[in-house]
Amino acid sequence: MLTLIDISKNYGLRPVLRGINLKIDKAEIVVLFGHNGAGKTTLLKISAGITPPTRGRVVVEDQVIKQGGIYYLGHKNSLYSELTVMENIRFFLSMRNGTAMVNSIEETLEEFGLWQRRNDPVKALSQGMKRRLALMKGIISGASLLMLDEPFSGLDLGWKDRVLNKLMALREKGTSLFIATHLINEGCQIADRVALLERGNLTLFHDKTEVNESLIQERLRNEVCR
Amino acid sequence: MKFVGNTLSIVKKDILLEFRAKEALSIMVFLSLLLIVVFNLAVDIDKDNVSSLAPGILWVVFAFSGVLGMGKTSLSEREDGAYLNVFFSAVSMEVFYIAKVISNLIFLLFMELFTIVSFVVLFNYDALIKGLPALTLPLLLGSIGFSAVGTLFSFLSTGSRFGEIILPFLFLPVVVPVLIAGVSATDLILNNTTGGALLKWLKMLAVFDLLYLTVSLMLFKHIVEE
Repeated sequence: MLTLIDISKNYGLRPVLRGINLKIDKAEIVVLFGHNGAGKTTLLKISAGITPPTRGRVVVEDQVIKQGGIYYLGHKNSLYSELTVMENIRFFLSMRNGTAMVNSIEETLEEFGLWQRRNDPVKALSQGMKRRLALMKGIISGASLLMLDEPFSGLDLGWKDRVLNKLMALREKGTSLFIATHLINEGCQIADRVALLERGNLTLFHDKTEVNESLIQERLRNEVCR
Repeated sequence: MKFVGNTLSIVKKDILLEFRAKEALSIMVFLSLLLIVVFNLAVDIDKDNVSSLAPGILWVVFAFSGVLGMGKTSLSEREDGAYLNVFFSAVSMEVFYIAKVISNLIFLLFMELFTIVSFVVLFNYDALIKGLPALTLPLLLGSIGFSAVGTLFSFLSTGSRFGEIILPFLFLPVVVPVLIAGVSATDLILNNTTGGALLKWLKMLAVFDLLYLTVSLMLFKHIVEE
């Protein structure tokens, strides 16, 4: 679905990413780990087409565009603070021409604990609620590729689990996910493949079973917490 | 039809945001009133010279008040990354730009009407109201030029740290041709001169509108990208 070919990025003279190659297949979850400043956000932004790479190219398959495109959630929630929860959703869906999805809004709002707050302006919501709303937008978007940067930030433990389940359910429906996080437990729980970004280089663990092994977990812990 | 529907959705959302936040219009209206009052106190205007001074004063107020308001409308898109709703949608950045130009145009025209009424009241210049039907075309053409340039530069400047300070420095030199043509056309109308001379300035406004819109349409996507 998405292929990164020899991606490099420099900020000034400082290299952030060095020759990254990565392929994300249909219905696959790739989780990207790395310590703060490792370049996770930059790699996600390049993959999404928000930031141009210094070198290399991003190839997105035509079927991604045809089937509903990409949903990108960065550190910001992409919400209009003066609009209500429902108004934000309606505008978002109108931009994606997603009228078919409208029926599922009520149910999904209920699942994300936002139904009671549907007529409140977004500025009146807590950070966790805003994050849930932003994640909910991704789920109802119908996108075939979701790119989520620290999706669990601001969520309490109960909501993290529910969001994890939702994301795994999306994968079952054929959606691909590219997730950057520093939360090892949550990331490993959901990942089909794990990628570790250190000093601008990407190490990819191809075998899904490796992810659950304590040795790999330990390495990630050491790298991420360094 | 999709083009029209998507454009209307964005314009409707902008108007709703402005209705709730009251940021762009209130700033434009307040500054225009302030400038008219300052001109009223600082410039010795009487019934003999008001018709020759009014065009210059009006267009200076339009330009300065307009540029501040346009900065606010792009800020609402940038502050929580809300523009990404459109960036990753089926809607092209060209449609987004056109919609933002129309939104800004509506706010500009509202501010200009308010300015004209304030001018009539403070300077006791009824001829401005009588000349309003004839002034509609130069006002509309001038405002399209302001909005085309202002929308582009406001997105450019809100991406930087000192955006609101930089915006007038970028905007004002570029819209000088619109200011000259607008002042000249208004001057001719208020002094009851029509025909070829007026047509010349109207043509100039139309040509610059076309130029600004074409160039801005080509640049907008690159400016929205990082």
